[in-house]
Amino acid sequence: MKRRTFVSAAVAAIAVTVSTTASMAADWPKRPINLVVPYKAGGGTDAYARAISAAAEGILDVPVVVVNKPGSGGLNGANSVVGARPDGYTMMMTSGGSFLLSTMTRDTEIDALESFQFVAQVGQLQTSLMVPKNSPFQSVQDVIDAAKANPGSLRWAHSGRGGFHHVGGLGFLANNGIEAQDVPFKGGGPTRAALIGSQADFGFLGVQQLAGFEEQLRALAVNSQDRDGIMKNVPSFGELGIPFAAVSSPVIVFAPKDTPADVVAAMEAALAQIAEKPEFAELLASRGTGPVYQNGADAKATLTSMKADATPLVESLTN
Amino acid sequence: MEIFPALLSVLTDPTLLFAIVLAAAVGMIVGATPGLTASAAIAMLLPITFYMPPLFALAFLYVIGKSGRYGGSIAAILFNTPGTAASAATQIDGYPLARSGKAGKAMKVATISSIIGDLMGDILLVVGVGFIAAIALKLGPPETFAIYFAAFVVIGSVIGKSIVKGLASALLGILIAMVGLDPISSEERYTFGSFDLSNGVGLVPLMIGVFVLGEVFAQMEERRKAKGDIEENESSESGNSLSWEEYKPCLPHAFRGGFIGAGIGVLPGLGSAIAAFISYGEGKRRAKNPEKWGKGALEGVAAPEAANNAVSGPSMAPLLTLGIPGSTIGAILLGVFLIHGIQVGPTLFLTDKELVYQLFACGMLGIIAYGVIGYFGATQVARLILKIPTNVLYPMIFLTAFVAAYSARGSMFDVTVMTVAGFGGWLMRKYDFNIAACVISFVLAKGAEETFRQSLLMSESGPLVFVERPIALAFLILGLAAMAFRIRGILKERRIAQGGLGDA
Repeated sequence: MKRRTFVSAAVAAIAVTVSTTASMAADWPKRPINLVVPYKAGGGTDAYARAISAAAEGILDVPVVVVNKPGSGGLNGANSVVGARPDGYTMMMTSGGSFLLSTMTRDTEIDALESFQFVAQVGQLQTSLMVPKNSPFQSVQDVIDAAKANPGSLRWAHSGRGGFHHVGGLGFLANNGIEAQDVPFKGGGPTRAALIGSQADFGFLGVQQLAGFEEQLRALAVNSQDRDGIMKNVPSFGELGIPFAAVSSPVIVFAPKDTPADVVAAMEAALAQIAEKPEFAELLASRGTGPVYQNGADAKATLTSMKADATPLVESLTN
Repeated sequence: MEIFPALLSVLTDPTLLFAIVLAAAVGMIVGATPGLTASAAIAMLLPITFYMPPLFALAFLYVIGKSGRYGGSIAAILFNTPGTAASAATQIDGYPLARSGKAGKAMKVATISSIIGDLMGDILLVVGVGFIAAIALKLGPPETFAIYFAAFVVIGSVIGKSIVKGLASALLGILIAMVGLDPISSEERYTFGSFDLSNGVGLVPLMIGVFVLGEVFAQMEERRKAKGDIEENESSESGNSLSWEEYKPCLPHAFRGGFIGAGIGVLPGLGSAIAAFISYGEGKRRAKNPEKWGKGALEGVAAPEAANNAVSGPSMAPLLTLGIPGSTIGAILLGVFLIHGIQVGPTLFLTDKELVYQLFACGMLGIIAYGVIGYFGATQVARLILKIPTNVLYPMIFLTAFVAAYSARGSMFDVTVMTVAGFGGWLMRKYDFNIAACVISFVLAKGAEETFRQSLLMSESGPLVFVERPIALAFLILGLAAMAFRIRGILKERRIAQGGLGDA
């Protein structure tokens, strides 16, 4: 009996010491965490945030509240978080590729790599080359051949200039030495509808947009080295041996620059747990997306190398 | 006819019925409260619905959306504040009616017309959901531009006494719409280096500014001149009751509005505000008493209200089958489907047919629920509000304008936009410029520009693309024909009544 009391007292003493050294992390979270999504409710990134919010139960003691702050290509929301109090109660979840590109193309003081702390990556959005179901193009090579036979005659759709779908498409065209006229639409849904209606010859849109539309569209390739983890039936440019630009959009959680390191670490650990929860994957599966976890440092490395890949394409855009 | 078993299954579920009635009441209240919108309420309630069964969650939010759209007309009539963008057209006649003590009457007309329009839209949706989706796919940028072109003609019917000032107002609207990101190149224009302006000028703060603040300023000026001798809002028994004789002339306007709204709902992205203004313009053009429109004609409430509610039903078709949300509410509903693991797309009607038709059934019952609450409740609210003397009411309206402009997007910049628009609206009133023409062209210009430039990028033959595609050509001819008729009408009027252009 005595021994047991001693042990428990010792454990308590250690616990006290630990909790005082990590007081900030132990205190956090006390209040609900606001997760700012700089896009409208209902979009791809928003779906990730909602799934995080639902799956956080049981892992974080407080609710995660999704706050949509759309506008200016995602910079509106980023602007509101960059100046937020760095107490760990305001963070941003954004589509990393789009965010990076908009900071490169738009006149802003925000630097995607420097203005925030990277907490973790929880998902991945990838662009892909799609054609309408009744299109004569059966393979990527068909598209390249047609474009070479008649330069500039093809029209391709995407969801807005400067976005990662557009830059991914530009990378495909430039790397294969072909030309085609782009037709920008506003957002993913309208782009998909335009492609289904054969308003363009091909399009670059999120590979997850194929889910449920397999009878209307044909995805020829996903814009990456390897196949997508969820849409496994779509071949990748890498396996087809077709050159491309490695532009994708990792879904990343960012915290304001001066957020205490232990709070960031605690959130990172929580996100790692959430990403492993089967519920999280289930919530995303119907959208054709899934969890893709990377810790903050790796997420930053990914985005840094993407910046190097995208820089020449962005320069060709802005000149 | 899958709708009938669906209706039956909904009717026999008391908790679901309760949810529908509750949603109808919530929607009405948020719609009627300036500063709260149905889409904001839905976004706020969204997390709660994660824990509900899918049908329950969807029906709840869908009905809030529907009744919120109707509730917007209450604020438009009573406070001259558009509760939603779509109800701006309603206030043109609704507010003058309220000021002459006929608020109850106006609200009853709005209620009946909303029900007619909304039900017409829903019936079209239930009968032709597959067909609607097929049409929406056929309409590429050239067709959509042609429709915008035809819609611009509407400006002609609200243009007012001076054609020059009317056109100048329309141009001003177009100019304001140009501010922000170029829809094609995504480059900034007319932003003068301001980050806030790169987002463009919001429709809600602009409308609250020119309509509400502008009106308050104009009233203040009147009062100074008249030394407080302005009539108070009086509400009488006759002002609140509505007889069949009074509603009868509204009926054709409500039905026409219903058709216009349902037609516009089919086209993703055009939206309720456009439907309401087109219906108002068309209604005025065909009215027997166009001189009364704008000064408090009941028909002027019926036409836009039926149209803006009729959009709701058909806009669900492109949403459910193509995943294109026609409105903010649509986008949120799309999220709800996905959160509950229901894949939206052409296969939805194979996988979740029962659920979809039950949702449609809930929508129809929701219309009836808000109709009943509105018809009997709104008059009471009107009586209460109109007891407030104008010297208390105006400061209240002034305050709510600020709250409304801020809370739509939580942006202080929008408050600035509203204030500037308020002074602009006051000056435009003072010098007889046409506010309605300005707002309508603002609403239409963005979509028209985007689709026009998309068409040219798509085309291999330049502008000929509009002539080569039959549907586009048909709408262009329709627009030109309407314009020709309009000019002929004006010339005839001018010959009859030398001097004035008569038609306002």
